[in-house]
Amino acid sequence: MAGLAAAPVAAEGSNAFRRRPGLAAWLVMAPLLAWLILFIVIPTVMLVVVSFTQRDALGRVVYDFTLENYVRAFDWVWLKVLLVSIWYALLTTVICMAVGYPAAYFIGRSPARWRGILLMLVMVPFWTSFLIRTYAWITILSTDGLLNGLLVASGLFAKPVPLLYTPFAIVLGLVYNFLPFMILPIYTSVERLDGAMIEAAYDLGARPMRAFAQVIIPLTQPGIAAGALMVFIPSICMFAITTLMGGGANPTIGEVIFKQFTAGRNQPFGAALGTLLLVIFVIALSATRRQREES
Amino acid sequence: MKINLTLISTFAALALAGCGKAPETKTAEEPKTQPAFPAASPTSESKKLNVFCWSEYIPQAVIDQFSKETGIAVSVENYASNEEMLAKLLAGGGSYDVIQPSEYVVGALAKEGLLRPIDQAAVPNIKNIDPKFLSMSFDPGNKFSVPFMAGTVGIVINTETVTDDIKTFNDVFQEKYKGRIVVLDDAREIVTWGLLSMGIPVNDMSDANLDKVKPVLTKWLPLIKVYDSDSPKTALLNGDVDLGVVWGGEGAILLNENKKFKWVIPAEGTHLFIDSLAIPKTAKNPENAEAFMNFILRPDISKQISDAFPYLNPNLAARELLSPAQRSNIASFPSDDQLAKMQTFEDIGQQASKVDEVVTSLKVQ
Repeated sequence: MAGLAAAPVAAEGSNAFRRRPGLAAWLVMAPLLAWLILFIVIPTVMLVVVSFTQRDALGRVVYDFTLENYVRAFDWVWLKVLLVSIWYALLTTVICMAVGYPAAYFIGRSPARWRGILLMLVMVPFWTSFLIRTYAWITILSTDGLLNGLLVASGLFAKPVPLLYTPFAIVLGLVYNFLPFMILPIYTSVERLDGAMIEAAYDLGARPMRAFAQVIIPLTQPGIAAGALMVFIPSICMFAITTLMGGGANPTIGEVIFKQFTAGRNQPFGAALGTLLLVIFVIALSATRRQREES
Repeated sequence: MKINLTLISTFAALALAGCGKAPETKTAEEPKTQPAFPAASPTSESKKLNVFCWSEYIPQAVIDQFSKETGIAVSVENYASNEEMLAKLLAGGGSYDVIQPSEYVVGALAKEGLLRPIDQAAVPNIKNIDPKFLSMSFDPGNKFSVPFMAGTVGIVINTETVTDDIKTFNDVFQEKYKGRIVVLDDAREIVTWGLLSMGIPVNDMSDANLDKVKPVLTKWLPLIKVYDSDSPKTALLNGDVDLGVVWGGEGAILLNENKKFKWVIPAEGTHLFIDSLAIPKTAKNPENAEAFMNFILRPDISKQISDAFPYLNPNLAARELLSPAQRSNIASFPSDDQLAKMQTFEDIGQQASKVDEVVTSLKVQ
């Protein structure tokens, strides 16, 4: 996330580094380059290559060229799954933004000695594995669970409400798990926010709403964009939470791809779906990037 | 202070990024505990066994006891589905000595010449196995596999909330039970129940039969609330659902847990699975693998496995060691009449992907 937020700064200063990098620079870069090639470039190339192949009865990849996987991927069944996943991810991003922005702003504007503690509080739950926290939600939300017990005992509801295994539970699980990814980048932007700018807005007669909309939001925009991407993208492909808390009745694209690589014994088709998802991410990324450059 | 904060947020970001990677750190530390010169003694190489088995199927105590008795160091890797195991085995990543495939995968692997014949003399304990589970169609003469555990798929009912007499799959999937049903998250199983309800043999997964079964599943799937293969009992125990079509072992645990649960073998018949132990052709320690198989088939060991995972134990000598309550658990041990009506799976090869598509398309209808 630091990389995303820092990108514009690097771009501004890039004129100073127009020289060709020397051997020492390459040596310093080597571990990073090796990491990128090994864990990003090669797997992506493999994914794309496999998406054009066929498979045998045991599910082994047979390297014969075919477009069949892509023809199949554009079937309405899979597009519907993709649309549902995008919908969940959008909803998650919007809710994370609505909850995360005030939280990040509050932390970023609070006295310096408090900030560390407050950030720590955001992070503490994430020292436990997300699977354990997801199972905890299951015991809270189930029909005989804590929350329903409380609701019924307090007389608010006569009967337990179905909470677990619903789209509500899916979005709740996603928001809960990805909220820090929204708070942290926005916090970084808010912390750098120059108080003088806000004062200037007030001096020039802006009311709080206008100062917020025309000064604070544009100045924290890099954090907002980074946060939105960091919530949106993993939300689309997340399958563990959606399966555990959603009960699997509303399959998401991550779950469908996972099934192709396992029970469906169809790696090429799974790879084709994965490649399409990758293309969508690249489009989303370049769109936000262009928007940022324009502003 | 500024530096301090930057440090904290960096740390926080690292904690986030690293939250899914804990096991990697663990493996990185492992080599430290191994001897510095593993090749120094020739025996160290042969005192190893790599077991690749289902999660929640072989108790750790059993593995530990094997190591203690034989001095063979066992490393265990788990999988959650036959296909996951196939994918890893065929990719040639690990060198596994023992795998635990279900019947149709034994058949498929044997056909492709990917299994190593078992030295029958090294596994004398196979005499403990019920002859009904020996020399089955997927592996005549048990050339490549020995039975580990068998089991069925059946219906569980919470009798406090469901008062009707449920006898068949069609009885489960009724409009009035909408949102109250849990089933296995397994496309082939679900299609199989549809086929059974229409009287079509379960291995006849032709396109024509898939088309025939679609209207049935179109009615069934919107009624289902939860799909869960790993622990379908959870939704039943938590009261989130009242009916389930689940593994026999899960059913047996539910029956032990609470008297309100009732187990029904569907009148149409059902699926009988046999999970076996086999040795891949690429195994490096086949003799240790055979020793492990023989150990697992020992009555006292097999009983321990049944205690933890109450499936249909094919080991007759072990069954004698079980308590009367365990033996009379109808979810673990179906009657002979019921067994006679059950069908085992054969490999359906590439059709698996189509079966998955049928079920996925009906989930999102």
